[in-house]
Amino acid sequence: MAAKTPNTLLHGSLDALILKTLAAGPRHGYAIAKYIEGASSETVIVEEGSLYPALYRMERRGWLEAEWGESELGRRAKLYRLTRQGRAQLAAETAAWLQFVAGVSKILLAQ
Amino acid sequence: MRRSLRSWLWRVPIEREVDEELALHAEMRRQEGRPLDPEAMAQVRRACIEIARGRERQMRVTQWLEERRQDIRFAVRQLRAAPGFTLVAAMTLALGIGANSAIFALADAALLRPLPFPDSERLVMLWERRADGTRNAVNPVEFVEWSERHRTFDGLATVLAGGGAMTNADGTTEQIDGQAVSTRFFDILGVGPIAGRTFQAGDEAAQNRVVVLGEGFWRERFGADPAVVGRVLTMDGQPMTVIGIVPAQMETRALGGARRVALWTLVSNPPGREPAQRYAHYMRVIGRLKQGATLEAAAADMNMIADAIARESPATNRGHGVAIEPLRDALIGRELRLTALLLLGVVSLVLLLCCANVANLFLSRMMARARELAVRSALGAGRPRIVAQLLTESVVLAALGGAAGVALGAAILWIAPSIIPPGLLPTTVMLGFNGRVVAFCATAAVAVAHMFGLAPALQATSRSLLQGLGGRGTTAHGARFRTVLVGAEVAVAVLLLCGAGLLLRTLVMLDRIDPGYRAGDALTAIVNLPMTSSPDAMRQFYAGVEREIAALPGVRGVAWGSGVPLDGWWYGQSFQIVGDPPRAQADRDNATYQMVSASHFSTLGIPVLRGRGFAAADTAEAVQVAIVNEEFVRRYFAGREPLGMRIAVNGMRQPPSAVVREIVGVVGHVKGSPDQLEPDLQIYVPIQQNAWWSATLVVRPGSGPATALVPAVRAAMARVDKTRALTRIQTLDEIERGATARWRFRAQLVGTFAVLALAVAIVGVFGVLAYSVQQRVREFAVRMALGARRGDVLTLVLSSMARVVVGGSIIGLAAAALASRWIATMLFGVTPLDPVTFATAGIVLGVAATVAAAAPTLRAMRVNPAIAFRQD
Repeated sequence: MAAKTPNTLLHGSLDALILKTLAAGPRHGYAIAKYIEGASSETVIVEEGSLYPALYRMERRGWLEAEWGESELGRRAKLYRLTRQGRAQLAAETAAWLQFVAGVSKILLAQ
Repeated sequence: MRRSLRSWLWRVPIEREVDEELALHAEMRRQEGRPLDPEAMAQVRRACIEIARGRERQMRVTQWLEERRQDIRFAVRQLRAAPGFTLVAAMTLALGIGANSAIFALADAALLRPLPFPDSERLVMLWERRADGTRNAVNPVEFVEWSERHRTFDGLATVLAGGGAMTNADGTTEQIDGQAVSTRFFDILGVGPIAGRTFQAGDEAAQNRVVVLGEGFWRERFGADPAVVGRVLTMDGQPMTVIGIVPAQMETRALGGARRVALWTLVSNPPGREPAQRYAHYMRVIGRLKQGATLEAAAADMNMIADAIARESPATNRGHGVAIEPLRDALIGRELRLTALLLLGVVSLVLLLCCANVANLFLSRMMARARELAVRSALGAGRPRIVAQLLTESVVLAALGGAAGVALGAAILWIAPSIIPPGLLPTTVMLGFNGRVVAFCATAAVAVAHMFGLAPALQATSRSLLQGLGGRGTTAHGARFRTVLVGAEVAVAVLLLCGAGLLLRTLVMLDRIDPGYRAGDALTAIVNLPMTSSPDAMRQFYAGVEREIAALPGVRGVAWGSGVPLDGWWYGQSFQIVGDPPRAQADRDNATYQMVSASHFSTLGIPVLRGRGFAAADTAEAVQVAIVNEEFVRRYFAGREPLGMRIAVNGMRQPPSAVVREIVGVVGHVKGSPDQLEPDLQIYVPIQQNAWWSATLVVRPGSGPATALVPAVRAAMARVDKTRALTRIQTLDEIERGATARWRFRAQLVGTFAVLALAVAIVGVFGVLAYSVQQRVREFAVRMALGARRGDVLTLVLSSMARVVVGGSIIGLAAAALASRWIATMLFGVTPLDPVTFATAGIVLGVAATVAAAAPTLRAMRVNPAIAFRQD
């Protein structure tokens, strides 16, 4: 990986980011990574080594399902879409994240 | 299209899916100007493939379960639609599986399960092995010496028949079965008390009269009152203190004997070292091998000890070794194992027959459903899918049959105790309906489903689409398969008929045997005196009881003896003919030894061939006399006059010693057991000259049944000594029946299965013939239209049947000829290749097959061409 030093994602939060990304509609793997980088103003870099295994794992758990579609290049692309289970999981992960942030903040911002 | 569906409809390989996805990613990165490291990508690829594989597996399982669920629903619908077929097939299977489950319970108990003691594989039984290789009970001195010198056992113990007359609170006495054991008996078996304690060192030294009760006896007699421990019972007129209670399984699973053991006492005269005790072989010895010690090591150890003893006491022990065998083998016995294997083999064959018949039924149904199957395959169902569906039908059917079979098996096992002859199963073998039997039935059902389901399913799906849709469901291939199936059924039925025939002929031979006595309906009972009684007291008791009973009205004869004919149990003693070259004790021959009263021969109708029987004058003080049987004369007095010869024979007394007796008579041979081939040597002595503490009373009625005399006989005995009890009351007829019970049991059981097999096979023959006639109606019609007569059609039908039946019979007879030597030990008076039996089996089958063929043949002959052509 070249120029940027990627921030290390906190364990488990990648799943939540992927779920959130797909909540807006189906995307393929590259698009998901691009979106997360863009939306986080490039503070979060998603590595292929984490992204794809995560996608496959989440598909296996039934949070995502995949279908073949068209990519921007006109090639066949594997598009991921959120399932009902995935939506519920997103809600659960968001709640957990907020709780976590609140807890950590309490310590870090303590006077 | 949803991905999950696509994945198994088109089955894009996972690798391609991952590669394509990652290639796109790499392409986009390159366009962006951030190319990827190929090494890292390879790693990502591997990780993804791994996860995706897991997903595939998961999906396959889900899909498989879903298919099974559909198949089962479909199968149930199919079976419901054909209730007649379902009922017949399920009942056939239930019969086969039920019979198998019951026999499995027997085989499981006899062949598979260990004895119910902890680490039971370390338990062994020990015998003295004589120079000629035969086994002998152990003498008390040997027992002491073995116990002191062994290095491979945790310990040894001895066990003898015991028990005694218990005096109840109301003054009546009653014989209780028990065992006399040495102190460590329970420790060696690994059985602890449920109340109080078992025996311990010191109990025997002080001649402590202590008794351990069995749980069942304790519950029945004492209402499970824990306060019984410490209470004093009166046994044989002596006070005995109850020291503990042992679990119920000890009572029924005690070593040997067919009856329940209610209590245990210590061996009454503790094994001593008196040299004279070396002649008394009466102890059964058990031992527990040390952890890790092998049977071979123990045998080597014990035989070294036996050699040392033989050097120290050559007169009694020369050439004697020690035989050791696992306790389980000693208790269960070869005969029972063979019987279990025989029955298991027989019922498996019956089950195979049932399978063959159901397979035949199934095949007919498949033919009828040919069009349906063809339509399904035309609609895209693959052959594996259709086979799986048909197999599911078989499994559902087998499950129905299996469930009914379990119920049938449970019912058989419930009534089994009343039909199994006592003594066939040692009490250590418990027959019961349990989880193992159910598991066996389930396994059998699944196996059976594949056996009868697979062939028809493959058969039915092997035909081309065109053939199936084309309509007429007849193929030469199917017909041949069915013919082979029926031929096999006939073969198996003939095989079983031969086996049953041999066993039945054996039974007939046994029933015809001359037992050597004529008494018919006579009462027998064993009377035990206290072992400590003086010889005078015993003599008086025996004479007094005989006098009292003889005076009873309705008594034609009364006598004392030791053991009863055909009971298979006698005392044995070694003897030496005075004047012949003297032999050491260890080398002397053995003869059965019976102490009888003067009236014994007349009461039992045993013929006195030469000399005289015993008389009142043969008292203890008179000349010591003996009577021998004709076999004894034949073997020892060839050409010599037996009367007046003298023999030295050990007496039944403590300590044992030889007595010189003059032979005063020769009697006919009395069989010791019904299957005895060679007559054995028999010596009789007057009970007044050798009174022993146990004797058999024989009472022959003048008129009416012998059993009606029991109360009067009891009262007569009570007038002499009211503390004595009659035990093991049975009539000679009962003993005779009991003696042949195991042969009868085997013959009846195998006979029943053979009849069952015959019926099943005949149904098979009928089914196939009827079906083939139905299929060939058109052909017959054509033939008849072309001028064939009814006789020609008859020949046609019968010859096709004859081929199957004769072919099957020949194979069956050949198989029987090969198999019958396995049951040679269960035969008596019949050779394994008995021509009468084999011919009869063939004829019975032929007749039955002809009967089965009658209806279909008639139908074929009645074919009316005009009607047949109009049918389709």
